[in-house]
Amino acid sequence: MSRIFLQKRGLFFLMIVFLMLLPLAMPVKAENFDRSQYIYDFAHLLTDQEAADLQNLAKELGEARETAFIILTVSGTDGKDIVQYVEDFYDENAPGYDQPHGNTAILAIDMQERDIYLAGFKKAEQYLGDGRLDQIRENITPDLSDGHYFQAFLAFITTSHEYMGYEPSDGSSSDGYSGYGPGESSDGYNGNDSGADPENIFFQWWFQLIASIIVAAVIVAIMAYRSGGRVTVNAGTYMNSDQSRVLNKYDNFVRQTVTKQRKPSNNTNSGGGGGITGGGHSHSGSSGKF
Amino acid sequence: MILHYKCPGCGSDMGFDAESGELSCEACGRHENIENYPEELKSVRFSEDEANEYHCENCGAVLITEAETAATSCSFCGAGVVIADRLSGTLAPAKVIPFTISKEEATKAFQKWCRKGLLTPKGFMNADRIKSLTGMYIPFWLFDLNSKVQVNATCTKVRTYEQGDYIYTETKYYDAFRDINLDYVKIPVDASEKMNDQLMDKLEPYPYDQLKDFKTPYLAGYIAEKYNYTDEELLPRAKDKISGYIESYIQSTLTGYHSVNYTNKHIDTRNKNSDYVLLPVWMVSYDYNNSEYTFAMNGETGKIVGKPPISTSKVAMWFSGITAGTFLALKCVSLMMGGGFW
Repeated sequence: MSRIFLQKRGLFFLMIVFLMLLPLAMPVKAENFDRSQYIYDFAHLLTDQEAADLQNLAKELGEARETAFIILTVSGTDGKDIVQYVEDFYDENAPGYDQPHGNTAILAIDMQERDIYLAGFKKAEQYLGDGRLDQIRENITPDLSDGHYFQAFLAFITTSHEYMGYEPSDGSSSDGYSGYGPGESSDGYNGNDSGADPENIFFQWWFQLIASIIVAAVIVAIMAYRSGGRVTVNAGTYMNSDQSRVLNKYDNFVRQTVTKQRKPSNNTNSGGGGGITGGGHSHSGSSGKF
Repeated sequence: MILHYKCPGCGSDMGFDAESGELSCEACGRHENIENYPEELKSVRFSEDEANEYHCENCGAVLITEAETAATSCSFCGAGVVIADRLSGTLAPAKVIPFTISKEEATKAFQKWCRKGLLTPKGFMNADRIKSLTGMYIPFWLFDLNSKVQVNATCTKVRTYEQGDYIYTETKYYDAFRDINLDYVKIPVDASEKMNDQLMDKLEPYPYDQLKDFKTPYLAGYIAEKYNYTDEELLPRAKDKISGYIESYIQSTLTGYHSVNYTNKHIDTRNKNSDYVLLPVWMVSYDYNNSEYTFAMNGETGKIVGKPPISTSKVAMWFSGITAGTFLALKCVSLMMGGGFW
């Protein structure tokens, strides 16, 4: 009897725990928005097959970086600026990899204005600062201009994935992007600082390999050269330092010339950059035309 | 005239002993001090073209010599003999550095050196194919050179500073002059035709504190040669050896400038004195893979020079090892710089 009672109490307890965990396991969803969909081709630039391919790629690479790589194509933005449009999209639909308003990188193009805007939220804001987004945008703009939308979108997803493998600017990397909850903003973060430059030749494996081969070749060549013995006498070996000296010298000033050059001005970096959405989410960004 | 050293005690052949630096008799162990040995070669004159055939003082056999051989061993009885004609008059050496490394020590040192070779093939490293090890006194001229140097140069000092919106570059021009006296002493230049100049240059330096007044017994049991080139013929090479030293000395006196442009450079090098000396070298001839390799060892310091064979597999091993190591190191650096490991 008491055992059955205990079993019942255990079941009841389990149910309580389950009920308590339920809201955590199923977070509130923005209505009518599927966070596992990454391609929003409102301007119909892609075939179904292309859209499916991109969707799969975005899903696969997004998992690796815990980031939703979203592609958004529109024809006209209801008079809104494209930056505003992307911010509203993020506020209203609350995309993210594992939570609403989560880690998101958005590529948005407007076919009417031929505007392109790249934005990074949360983790993507840190790892894809304005500088890196500028680089990505410059990479894909030629493809967009030529109408190769699929290639451009593909490049956006792969390059963003690759760049997120490089540490962002010092200090802000290890602070934990996971701490950002919905509605929480990180306005302290300066999106202009792109940290380690992903395009730095030093980070390329082929460069590292070539450098290693050159170093090894030089060292082995020196070893082979020196295997035959080397000269171990120098200028001091045979010099009679008692008798060797400067007997007479002068250094006469003749003339002087002065040239002046205007200081290079610090060109202010335009290109939009990031900002804060109406919903209070800070983000990095890069905008341009194609 | 042939000189031959017989032991006053037992009548056996005597030879120079590198360890004690004395003339020693292998049979009875008797040692004779060389420094007090009477020497009259410098004053003795022999007629220029004396017979080219010499007979061993010990056994009477014909000595097989080359035209420049000044000391050798009788190929018949093995006694060390010195051909005095080729070491007298103008051919008389002023000084000599006697061997301090004996044949046994030279063999051991050579084997040790072979083992140290990082790129030499395994079979070579055993050093068990020494074909011959010959102690030779190589003729050298030691030059004492004096250089008088006068240089004029236009030098600049550059300073940049910022003021307002501009960067100013200020260049000051100087007319500089240096009058330098340089003395270089005892620059060795080998006077033997047979010896490779590069090889001999690498054998330097010789410890000049070991220079002894020349006495023929130092050569007993070794090969010696007379010079093929006179000091006058070799002076250009001696000047050439110090020209780099002179240039670097001139540069060292013109420091503190950003650029130095020589307008006039006058270098006058004169030979103050040149001494004919014999310096000790062990020549090692070594058979490996059907080819013969020649090495030279400084008979006083033990320094070895000469091109050993190079093993392709060892080169490949070092090359790939260093490549892999450097690649890994670069990856780590890249990781630390925030570039990710892959």
